[in-house]
Amino acid sequence: MPYQLLRFAFASKHPEPRMFRAPERLKDTYDAVIIGAGGHGLASAYYLARDHGMTNVAVLERGYIGGGNTGRNTTIIRSNYLTPEGVAFYDQSVRLWQDLSQDFDLNLFYATRGHFTLAHTDSAVRTMRWRAEVNQHFGVNSELVGPEEVRKAAPQIDITCGGHAPILGALYHAPGAIARHDAVAWGYGRGADQRGVEIHQQTEVLGIEVQGGKVTGVRTTRGNISTPRVLSAVAGFTPRVTNMVGLRTPIYIHPLQAMVTEPMKPWLDPILVSGSLHVYVSQSARGELVMGASLDPYELHATRSTLDFVEGLAAHMLDMFPFLSNARVNRQWAGMADMTPDFAPIMGTTPVEGFYLDAGWGTWGFKATPVCGKTMSWTVANGRDHELIKGFNLSRFERYELTGEKGAASVGH
Amino acid sequence: MKILTCPVNGPRPVSEFAYGGEVRPMPDGATCSDREWADYVFNRSGVPGVKIEWWYHIASGTWFHAERDTVTDRVIRTWLPG
Amino acid sequence: MSSRLPPVTGEWIDRSRGLDFTFDGKAYRGWVGDTPASALWAAGVHVLGRSFKYHRPRGVLSMANHDVNTMMQTGARLNLRADVEPLEAAMALTSVNTAGGASGDRLRFLNALGGFLPVGFYYKAFHRPKALFPFWERVFRRMTGLGTLDFNAPHIRTPKRYDFCDVLVVGAGPSGLHAALAAGRAGAKVVLVDENARIGGSLGYQRGGSVEGLEMLRDLERDLAELPNVSVRAATLAAGYYADHWIPLVDAKRMTKLRARAVICAGGVFEQPAVFRNNDVPGVMLASAAQRLLYRYAVKPMDKAVVLTANADGYRAALDLMAHGVAIAAVADLRAEGEPSALTMRVKQVGIPVLKGHCVLEAEAVDDRLVAATLCPVSAEGRPDTASPQKFACDGLLMSVGWAPAAALLYQAGASMRYDAGVHQFVPERLPEGVFACGRVNGVYTLDSKCEDGERAGTEAARLLGFDVPARNFSVAAERVAPSHPWPIVDHPAGKNFVDFDEDLHLRDFHNAAQEGFDNIELLKRYTTVGMGPSQGKHSNMNAIRILARIRGKSPGEVGTTTARPFFHPVPMSHLAGRGFNVHRETPLHGRHDGLGAVWMQAGVWLRPEYYGQPGKRKADIVREEARAVRESVGIIDVGTLGKMELYGPDAGAFLERVYTAKFAGMKPGTTRYAVMLDESGVVIDDGVVARLADQHFYFTTTTTGSTTVYRELQRWNAQWNLEVGIVNATGAFAAMNLAGPKARAVLRKLTTLDLSNEAFPYLALREADVAGVPARLMRVGFVGELGYEIHVPADRAGHLWDALMDAGGEYAIRPFGVEAQRLLRLEKGHIIIGQDTDGLTQPDEAGLEWAVKMDKAFFVGQRSVDIVRKRGPRQKLVGFELDAIGASTAPRECHLVVRNGAIAGRVTSIAWSDTLGKHVGLAFVAPDMTEVGSPFFIRADGGTMVQARVVPTPFYDAEGLRQKVVD
Repeated sequence: MPYQLLRFAFASKHPEPRMFRAPERLKDTYDAVIIGAGGHGLASAYYLARDHGMTNVAVLERGYIGGGNTGRNTTIIRSNYLTPEGVAFYDQSVRLWQDLSQDFDLNLFYATRGHFTLAHTDSAVRTMRWRAEVNQHFGVNSELVGPEEVRKAAPQIDITCGGHAPILGALYHAPGAIARHDAVAWGYGRGADQRGVEIHQQTEVLGIEVQGGKVTGVRTTRGNISTPRVLSAVAGFTPRVTNMVGLRTPIYIHPLQAMVTEPMKPWLDPILVSGSLHVYVSQSARGELVMGASLDPYELHATRSTLDFVEGLAAHMLDMFPFLSNARVNRQWAGMADMTPDFAPIMGTTPVEGFYLDAGWGTWGFKATPVCGKTMSWTVANGRDHELIKGFNLSRFERYELTGEKGAASVGH
Repeated sequence: MKILTCPVNGPRPVSEFAYGGEVRPMPDGATCSDREWADYVFNRSGVPGVKIEWWYHIASGTWFHAERDTVTDRVIRTWLPG
Repeated sequence: MSSRLPPVTGEWIDRSRGLDFTFDGKAYRGWVGDTPASALWAAGVHVLGRSFKYHRPRGVLSMANHDVNTMMQTGARLNLRADVEPLEAAMALTSVNTAGGASGDRLRFLNALGGFLPVGFYYKAFHRPKALFPFWERVFRRMTGLGTLDFNAPHIRTPKRYDFCDVLVVGAGPSGLHAALAAGRAGAKVVLVDENARIGGSLGYQRGGSVEGLEMLRDLERDLAELPNVSVRAATLAAGYYADHWIPLVDAKRMTKLRARAVICAGGVFEQPAVFRNNDVPGVMLASAAQRLLYRYAVKPMDKAVVLTANADGYRAALDLMAHGVAIAAVADLRAEGEPSALTMRVKQVGIPVLKGHCVLEAEAVDDRLVAATLCPVSAEGRPDTASPQKFACDGLLMSVGWAPAAALLYQAGASMRYDAGVHQFVPERLPEGVFACGRVNGVYTLDSKCEDGERAGTEAARLLGFDVPARNFSVAAERVAPSHPWPIVDHPAGKNFVDFDEDLHLRDFHNAAQEGFDNIELLKRYTTVGMGPSQGKHSNMNAIRILARIRGKSPGEVGTTTARPFFHPVPMSHLAGRGFNVHRETPLHGRHDGLGAVWMQAGVWLRPEYYGQPGKRKADIVREEARAVRESVGIIDVGTLGKMELYGPDAGAFLERVYTAKFAGMKPGTTRYAVMLDESGVVIDDGVVARLADQHFYFTTTTTGSTTVYRELQRWNAQWNLEVGIVNATGAFAAMNLAGPKARAVLRKLTTLDLSNEAFPYLALREADVAGVPARLMRVGFVGELGYEIHVPADRAGHLWDALMDAGGEYAIRPFGVEAQRLLRLEKGHIIIGQDTDGLTQPDEAGLEWAVKMDKAFFVGQRSVDIVRKRGPRQKLVGFELDAIGASTAPRECHLVVRNGAIAGRVTSIAWSDTLGKHVGLAFVAPDMTEVGSPFFIRADGGTMVQARVVPTPFYDAEGLRQKVVD
C-alpha cells in the first residue's frame, strides 16, 4: 500500500484542494491568451508559466477542460516517425512523457507497452524498414521484426489474419506507450493554475481583434480582453479560429471514431496497429480494449457515430483475434480531427503578428502534448519558431516544402 | 447509415459514394501568381457551414454536386454539374 | 430452500422443461425462461457477484439489464448479464472478477480498505518511485477487467440482415403497443421491438396486485396479431440510432440493420436506486426488480420487505408482494405528504405501517444478506433526523423512488431534452423530424395517458409519412404527482451509500471530486468514472446529476446530461462483424495460375502470382529462372490487373493532353506512348501506356492500384471541362498478358496471321488482330526489356488465349513469370514503379521523368505546380546504382538509407541481384549533388554495415534498347 494513500484513510475531510480555480470573471488584459483548454493548450500555458515566467495568461475553453480530442483519443504515444524533423520532435515528446507523472505528482498511468505496426504486404514491409532505419539513425528504438516477434508479444494473434492478410513483419517500437488521457490535461491544468494561469471554462471565443496585422484582443462570450498574443490550440475547431484572423490554411476537418469493449481480464500487452486492416488496439488498465480505425471519409464538424465504423472495425478485429467474437462493444465515440495535406502539424508563427498556431494534429496529437507545450510556449514567449518546429510552419505549403511524412503514408498503398 | 440522393440513381446509402471535397474554382495558371496557385492547391476553406461539394456515386460512376451543411450533415440538394 | 412460487399468471418460465446448470461449481436447477439470476434467487442464492472495486457482495438490483455486478461467464461466453440472459442447459456459470467465486471471494478484504481508496485514488499514488509503476500497473490490470477470454473460442460468423419499415417502435410497453397499433391501423408497415424476452413492458409486471394490465396486454397482442403489416419482435434490442433512421436490431443470433422512415421511442424508463448506506447489500433491490422476479419468474423475492418509496409505484409493489405472501414490515415514503391516491388506504387497510416523510438511513447485512433496515424521518431537503431511528427486521428492501428516461436513442438522434420539474425527470424538448417519443420516456406515467400518448405518437408518425389518418386532438394529461423524487439521497457519515454500483462510487466521492474542481457534469463523469461502467450510467447518471446540481446550487436542467453514445447495451463483436467479407479481385486467369503453383501476393485489391512455386526450390532460385527464361527464350505474365480505359470522342486527344504530362494530339493511330499523371501539386501519381486506336478512340492503361482512383478523377475532370469524350473503365472487361523474350515473335506467329515483321509492327506500335481466334489488341512494349507483346483480349477469352500461347510456346520452354521476376527485369531496364520508386511527394524531375513532361502544352494537371517547384529545384534525385562486388547476404535492401557524413542523404527504392548483369543493381533517391555518374556513395545495410555503391546510368541492361526493338 503506497504511503500516499494513507492520508486519505486518516483524514476527516478529503485532503485534496481544487485542481483548478474557477475565476469569476475575465481580466481586461493578459500577456497571452490561449484558446483551448485541451492537453496542448494547457501544456503551453504550463510551460509559459514555468519556463518563461509568463503567468498573466488566460486559457479560454468553450466546453470543459480536456473535453475535446484530449479526452477522445486512443492515447497512443510513440516517436517512430519517418522524417528527421518528425522523429526529433516526437522523440523529445516521449522523453518528456516519461517523467510527467513525477513532474505533476499525478499518476498519468503512463504505461510502456511496446508498439507494433504490422505489415501485411511486401510494400508495407519496405515502409517499415524505412521508418526503422530513420528512427535508428536518430537513436530512436525501432526495428523491423518478423512475424515471430509479433507472435511472441501477442501469442493469441492469428498471424494470417483470417488467411487474407498474413502478417509479414512489423515495425517494433519498444517505447510505445499509453496513458490516461484526461489526467494529462488535468495535470497540466493544475500546474498552470498553481503558477497563476487562469483557466476559463464555458468561455467561447467569438472573435480576435487584429489591427495593422497584429493581434490586439479577443472577444468572448464573457467579455472582451486585450492581449498581444493569441495561441490557437483547438484541434477540430482550427478553421473557425483562423477564420477570425483571416488566415487561410490547408486544414480540413474529418471525424475520427473509436470504440471500446467491456472490461476483460488482461491479455494484450502491446499496442498493435495494422494499416491494411485499419485497426489500432490496446488494452487499457481497466481491461477494456480501446480500438480505432481510419478517418471518416468526408468533412464533418460533428462527433456523431456511425454503424459502419463499428462493423468494419469489429470485422477486422476478429480477423486478428477470432476469439473476441463473444466480447462486446460497449461504447463508440468520435472526435474532430484537423487534417493537413502532408500528415504533419502546422505549428508556430503566422503572417498575423502575435497569432500562433498549434494545429493540424490530425489523428496523432495526443502523443505530442508535452513537446507541443514546450515548443509553443517558447515560440509564444520569443515571438519566433522554436528550432524543433521550424519544419512545421504554415508557410511550408506555399513554398511546396511539405514534410516527408506524406511519403510514408502513400508509399506501398 | 446516412442516405445521399444521387441525381441519377436516387437515394442511396452513403457507403456507395465517395467524397470529392468542396467545389473550388481553379485560377488561371497563366495569369495567377505562384502564391495564388499554391493557395488553390493546398488551402481549404475549413470553416463549417453550407458548402457545395463534389460527390461521386461509385457504382454508376456519377459525379455530382451536393449542397451540404458540414455541421449537421444535412444535404440540402444535389444536382449534376454543368 | 426454494422460493419459487406456485404458478403465477403470465409467468415466463416453462415448468415442463427443467435446466440443470452450475454456478461457481455448485449444481442448480431452473426452468426454460429463467435467467441465471432468477433461477439462483429462486434457489436461495443471494450473492450473485462481487462489486468492481471493493468486492462487496451484490445480488439482484434491476433484473433489467443493468445488473453489472452479477455478470457471469460460461465457457467462452464472458460478461453475461445474469439478470436477463436466458438460462441454458448445462451452463457452467462462474462469477467474473472474483478470487474463488462470488460467495467466498478472497478479495472481499478490499471492502475494509475503502478509506484508502477514495475517488481518483489511482491518480494520487503508485507513480513514485517511478520504477515501481510497472509493478503497480500489473497489479491494477489483474484487479480490473471482468470476464476472461478463451483464446480457443471459435470465430463466430453471424450473417446480418437488412430490413425496412415505415415506422419502428422501440419498446413494447403500453405506449409502444398503442403506437404500433395506431400506425399499423393507419396502414404503415410497422416493426415493434422490445429487448425483453416477451412484450408488454410494465403491463406484465407492475401489476399492483391486479390483473387489469395483463388483460390489456392480451387484448393488445390480439389486436396486433390481426395486422399483417405489423411485425412484433421480442428479445430484440434497438442498439443505437444512426443518421436517417438507421437502427441496428440485435437479437441472440444476429444484427438486423433496419431502415425506418420514422422512429417512435417508447423505451420507457429505468428505475433509479435510492442512495443510503449499504443500499447495495443483497436483498436491497429496485421495486421493479422484485416485481419482475414475481411475475416473470415466479420467484418470491424475499419473505419480509421494507418498501422505500416516493411514488405510487412503491405502493403497488407492496401490494404485489403481499399478494404473493411477502410480509411488508413497513412502507417508508420520502414525501412528507405521502401518496395522495387511494393506494395509501389499500396498503393501510391490510395493516402495513406507512411512515410518511421517512427515509432509509441504512441497511444492515449479516452473512452477505440483508437483515434489517433503519428508518428515520427525513426533511424536505433530504436531511435525515437520526434522533429516533426505527429498525425493521427484513430480508428485502424495495427502492421505488423514481425513474430516469431510457432516452439514449433520442440523444443519438439529436433530440434535446429538458428537465421537467413536474415529473422530476428529463423529457424530450425538441425531436428531430421523423422521431417521436411516447410513454414514460416522455414523462407520461398514468396508464390511460400512456395509451393515449402512444396512440398520438403512432398517429403522428403515420400522418407524417402520408398515411391517410384523420387528424385528432390527443389530450395527454400532465401527471398530477411526480413519479420521481428530486432527492432520493441520504448522506451517512460512514458512507457506502452507493450512487454507481458498476464503479463502486458512493456519495462522498462526488463531493470529493467537486472539491477537487471536477464540478461540471462532464468533468465529474471523467474523474469519478460515474456512468462509464458497463451499464453506462443507467442507474447512476440521474443521481449524479442531482448531486452535482445540489453541490453547485443549480437545477438538474442547468447541470445537464452527458452524451448517450451507442450502444444502448453492449453488442457482441461477432454480431457487428457479421460474416466479415474481405474483398479481393482475381483476373480471369486465376485458375490457370493456381494450376501452375502460383504463390499469391496482394497488389491493391488484386491477387497476383508473385512467382510459380516448385517443390523443393527456393523462391530466389525460381525468380531467377523465371527471369532467365524471359531474357533467353520466352516468358508470359498476366498483366490483367492493370487499369484499362477506353476513351472515345472528338476531344479524346485534347482530354489526354490535359490529364497526362505528354502530348497526344499528334499521335498516329496504331501507336502507343508512355504517359505520366501528376496531381495538382505536381506529384507523380500514376503512369501507363496510351494507345491510339483511331482518331477518336484511345485505349490506355493505369497502374494496378491506381485504376479506380484514376478513373474517378478523370471522370471528375471531365465533369468540369465538358469535353466531348466518353471514358469507360474496361479494367474488368479485358484480360491482358505480356508475352516477352527473344522467342515471343516466334510463339505469336503460330497463332495469328498478323504481319509481325518489324516494318509492319514496329516497337511501340499497336495492332488489332485475331490471336488464336480471339480478337486482340497487341502492343509492342518493352517494360521488361525484351521483344514483347502486351495482348489485350476480352476477359472471357483469356483462358483460351493463355492456353494457346502456352501450347505454342512449348517448344521454346515458355515460362509463366510472376511479379517478382518482372520487378527484377524492369529494374535491369531502369524502369520505375510508381509507389515504390516514388513516394507521396515525388515530383517528376526527382524521378527522372523530365523527358515525359511537356511544359510547352497549354495546360495539364500539375503543370503550374511543376513550374513553381522547378524554380526551387529538386530536393532529391532518383539515380541508378550498382554495388561494388559483394555477397548477397550483406547487400542493402529496399528502404535502407543513403548516408553521407553521418546524415541521411537518401534511400534505396529498388535493389536486386541481377544474374544477367552479374551484380547488384538498384535505384536510389540521393541528394541532388550526388548524381554524377561514377561517384560513390554509402548505403547503411542491416546491422549498420556501410556498403559502397556507385552511381551508374540506366538502363543497366541493353542501354540502347536493341533487344526490345529487335529486328529479325
